[in-house]
Amino acid sequence: MLAMGEEVTSPLSGKVLRINVKPGDTVNDSTSLLVLESMKMEIDIYPSSSGKVKEILVKEGDNVEVGQVLAVLE
Amino acid sequence: MNERNIDPYRKLERIRKRLKEKWIRASERQRAKGKLSAMERLEILLDPGSFVPLQSLVMPMYAEFNEEQADAMGDGIVVGYGTVGGRPVVVFAEDFSYKGGSMGRSHLEKMEWAIKLAIEFGVPLIGLYDSGGARIQEGVHSLTALGGVFFQNVMASGWIPQIAVIMGPCAGGAVYSPALTDFVFMVDKTSYMFITGPKVVKAVTGEDVDSEQLGGASVQTRKSGVATLMAKGDKEALLAVRKLLSYLPSNAGEDPPRVNTGDPWDRIDGELNRIIPADQRKPYDVKEVIRRIFDKDSFYEIQQFFAQNAVVGFARLNGYVVGIVANQPKFLGGVLDIDSSDKIARFVRFCDAFNIPLITFVDTPGYMPGTAQEHGGIIRHGAKVIYAYSEATVPKITVIVRKAYGGAYIAMCSRKLGADVVYAYPTAEIAVMGPEGAIEIIYKKEIEATPPEEREELIRKLADEYREKWSNPYVAAASAYVDGVIEPKETRPTLYKTLCTLLKRKKRFSKMPTKRHGNMPV
Repeated sequence: MLAMGEEVTSPLSGKVLRINVKPGDTVNDSTSLLVLESMKMEIDIYPSSSGKVKEILVKEGDNVEVGQVLAVLE
Repeated sequence: MNERNIDPYRKLERIRKRLKEKWIRASERQRAKGKLSAMERLEILLDPGSFVPLQSLVMPMYAEFNEEQADAMGDGIVVGYGTVGGRPVVVFAEDFSYKGGSMGRSHLEKMEWAIKLAIEFGVPLIGLYDSGGARIQEGVHSLTALGGVFFQNVMASGWIPQIAVIMGPCAGGAVYSPALTDFVFMVDKTSYMFITGPKVVKAVTGEDVDSEQLGGASVQTRKSGVATLMAKGDKEALLAVRKLLSYLPSNAGEDPPRVNTGDPWDRIDGELNRIIPADQRKPYDVKEVIRRIFDKDSFYEIQQFFAQNAVVGFARLNGYVVGIVANQPKFLGGVLDIDSSDKIARFVRFCDAFNIPLITFVDTPGYMPGTAQEHGGIIRHGAKVIYAYSEATVPKITVIVRKAYGGAYIAMCSRKLGADVVYAYPTAEIAVMGPEGAIEIIYKKEIEATPPEEREELIRKLADEYREKWSNPYVAAASAYVDGVIEPKETRPTLYKTLCTLLKRKKRFSKMPTKRHGNMPV
């Protein structure tokens, strides 16, 4: 499976609470890229593969939808 | 001795020699693909020297016995019995080196017979699948015989543990045999499972995918949940099967084997009080909790990478095997959704079939909202969990860790679904919904009447009152929905003493009124 530029999408609707990484950071599938708040829970968002953060498409306080692309890895 | 008397022995010698050579050739062919031969796999799976091969001289459907055709003998599958950890099992292993492991009638009839044997002996069945599919030249004979295998898988279901290890291709209708077993293991990169292969997919839908993307081990363990474990290499897969078997009884009439793990039953672990945050919004890893409570290194997770918002698996409590179900706050806040509901329901029913007591840890904010879940049928899927727990007659212990809201509280093995004993931690919050949501509904007028800058203060005050009056575990304890409030650190001895008592209870079979069978939502 080619994983050029994995798009990390939101698994549910919520609000961006905290962004933990910045472009250039190396991450793997146990790195919490950012934290959403949904259903009164803080929910960590993990990528499904390893890579380097290319860009973060949301900022703290944004409301996001299911399937919305939150970050792109390279 | 005259010439005619020693000849029969020489014939057998010749046949055996040819078979040995055949397996050497088979090993070489498989090795070229990074795989092992059927015989080599069985040597790893079974205790040394325990294997008794059966029906190894069966010829393919249209052939007569011919001592020179060693390759054809067995019709591409090895069947027999042996032991794993000293306990008898029945096995079959497809041999890809003969006609691509294609399933002819003889091949399939051996497979069917192996399952029947396992049923009759009351021992686990392990199938190693490595086949190109039904043998086209044998047409309806193949298909019919395949149906015979599926039927026996179903007859065996719930009577003996059935484990499938996909160690090569498994395509077309053939996938339904593993699909009917209890656990499917796959080998990364050298195995795949799908109903329709890439070529036909491309022809019909135009979609361009390869076997790995369509049904490789990664996809089946992470996306579809069809397989529980992806192993790196044949050996790792087979050793994982041996490990799984050590938790299971040989059949539904037996208890799971108890093993002395040397971990003291009355161990108190103060770290547990610290690991579970009092702040309901903060996630933690429930697997850390599980590992600390149960016998050291005894946790064997099932479907680790599928629906990670729920955790299921086997563990030992002072040597006794238990089945654990837990919400995982680290993933999606521990919400229940379609996949996690399926995962939990299937595991609960397996444990109930095989006399494995269930211990459920509850920390969930409820079901995941949204059209994807609703349109996907969360109603149907969520119902399975309620059905499975209600139906189960093994000992059921529930521990309410933190949040237990609404329908999810009920579904996660609550009192009325037949939980024998329910404990709650001081951090438990049992309510129709969380404080903030509830307050917005109950005190809507009061909140709207308050000036905006004072609202947050008011909501916080009301939320604290709500927790004090309604959602703390003592409210539930006062009505005996919860049997006791305990500290996380004392969970291990508490659960052990409870379990011991429940295990002494006479085994109950169905509590349901006599009927053909219930209609579980699927």
